[in-house]
Amino acid sequence: MTHTATLELTGLGKSFAGLKAVDDVSLRLATGEILGLIGPNGSGKTTLINIMTGLLPKTTGTVVIDGTDVSRYPAYRVARAGLARTFQTIRLFKNLTCLENVEEGAVGVGVGRRQAVVRARDLLAEVGLTDSSNKLARELTFGDQRRLEIARALAAQPKFLLLDEPAAGLNEEETDALLQYLKPLPALKHIGILIVDHDMRLMMSLCDRLHVLNYGRTIAEGTPGQVQNDPQVIEAYLGSEAKAHA
Amino acid sequence: MKRFTDWLLRRSTVWLLLAIFLIGSFVIWWLNIPLIEDMFTVGAITLIMVMGFQMFMGNSGILSWSFVGYVGIGAFVSAICSMQPQLKSMQIPVMYDVLVKIHMPFPVALVVGAVVAALIAAVIAWPLMRLSDAVGAITQFALLIVINVLLAQWQEVTNGPRTFTLGGTRLTTFWVAVLVAAASIVVAYFFKESSWGLRLRASRDDRYAATATGVNVIAMRYVAYVISAAIGAIAGGLYSHYILSITAASFYMSQLFQIMSMVVIGGSMSVSGAFFGTVLVTLADQGLRQFEFFLTQQGANAYGITEIVLAILMILFLILRPGGIAGGRELSLAGLAGRGRKRKQKREQEEPLEPDTTD
Ligand SMILES: Nc1ncnc2c1ncn2[C@@H]1O[C@H](COP(=O)(O)OP(=O)(O)O)[C@@H](O)[C@H]1O
Ligand SMILES: [Mg+2]
Repeated sequence: MTHTATLELTGLGKSFAGLKAVDDVSLRLATGEILGLIGPNGSGKTTLINIMTGLLPKTTGTVVIDGTDVSRYPAYRVARAGLARTFQTIRLFKNLTCLENVEEGAVGVGVGRRQAVVRARDLLAEVGLTDSSNKLARELTFGDQRRLEIARALAAQPKFLLLDEPAAGLNEEETDALLQYLKPLPALKHIGILIVDHDMRLMMSLCDRLHVLNYGRTIAEGTPGQVQNDPQVIEAYLGSEAKAHA
Repeated sequence: MKRFTDWLLRRSTVWLLLAIFLIGSFVIWWLNIPLIEDMFTVGAITLIMVMGFQMFMGNSGILSWSFVGYVGIGAFVSAICSMQPQLKSMQIPVMYDVLVKIHMPFPVALVVGAVVAALIAAVIAWPLMRLSDAVGAITQFALLIVINVLLAQWQEVTNGPRTFTLGGTRLTTFWVAVLVAAASIVVAYFFKESSWGLRLRASRDDRYAATATGVNVIAMRYVAYVISAAIGAIAGGLYSHYILSITAASFYMSQLFQIMSMVVIGGSMSVSGAFFGTVLVTLADQGLRQFEFFLTQQGANAYGITEIVLAILMILFLILRPGGIAGGRELSLAGLAGRGRKRKQKREQEEPLEPDTTD
């Protein structure tokens, strides 16, 4: 019997020199579910993840994790409160071994090394990187680096996992493997997942709900089916495609 | 038993380094040639400095310009603490009375030197570790100048620009230097492998990612900077009690440059790299000095050639192989075994292979 935790964002906003990259975004995510965050390029998805984790200072809004207001926490304490993430542009510890990278994910939030090593071995096996344990992270292929980054995030045993375009640069086979891995994860590890990606096939079959951003603002939220047929969403995507073709 | 052998294997780096260093020490001691023993003792003291330097710079990725300042503080503070009061008032007539009265055993004096350096580092590092990398480097550089000026001008403490002569016998013996150096290898290695060391190394590779995994980067840097200063100060204390006469100039640019070249050439990211860098640069330094001496005797003006060659070597490494010789790797039994296996594989591959029939 484990209790359900929630991640609540209220009125989050971020301005870059007048440009509102994220504008009054509110959303809720509970452990056990997968929420997809979609929107055209530059709509503020990465910025939203950066401000909720405290890596960038936010202009407005609050972030509450399982009842604790972490809005004013420095980034490292937000991580300790249960938010783990990956980066759109993979950010591994290049000169550490794969094992050390995952260990650090646990050690970073205060786990002792002895326990961290056990966790890291398990996670490397889970994502299929056991054979690369002693390789340096920079020696891995692109796809393996993506998997290592997810393992590192999970090593913290977070309440919520934020994935920023984990399928970008992966081939179809690798994307399918990612889907198979992520789908049962919320129930298995009792976490909530917030995932950003442009691969609609992946997002449709993976996410319980979708949250759509355009120009930093929420334009729709609902089940994949509902969102797919939302006129505003179609407009945003068609609009951006029309622009790309222009 | 199994657990013990596992542990030995897992920690093979530290045992191998200690074995190499201690066997080397025994050979030097057994040879019993005063000149070589002298060079080795100074080398062992330098090794302690290198280990202290590597602990901060190697793990955090930040160049520690101020490091030799703490070596100097340790050298003077421990000398003031250990000297006989009568000797002090004779050698340094202007010294403050309170300082003249202090007198404690050598090991205690070393510890006091380390504590004073650590306290100063702890105060200074508070704002220092918050600065961005570029500003921080300039600030550390300025700090080194401040420490140097204080050591060179505060004559009531350090005898000012005149030489500070300790007098008496050498309290730092060959074996004292060797044992403390061995201990410094152990400390540097286990710090690097500790959870603090791991977090610091993570922040070196990617500060944002480390923060996102819960690391308080500033706090980790702070701790390493203070410990590094303390180790530097112990090396300084051993140095002053070996050389027996010191000036502020002993702990300035040329010393910093020497330590830096050892760490850069050997490879700052691993303890093995720093260790072998120290061995190599010490040997190269001695060889080059002989050569310089020889050229000078032939009538050529070769003064400074040693520094120039080492500087060029360091620049070449920074450009061509920034990870140094070791490139972040540690010497280990597993690594040595792996290397043997690879060589064997290579030999087998060179034998003619069956033509590949599969498509
Ligand atoms: N550090 C920054 N400085 C200035 N503008 C930024 C910065 N980061 C992002 N932006 C701008 O904010 C907007 C949202 O970017 P981003 O969050 O990366 O979008 P997405 O991840 O949805 O593609 C874009 O217009 C981008 O140019
Ligand atoms: Mg993005």
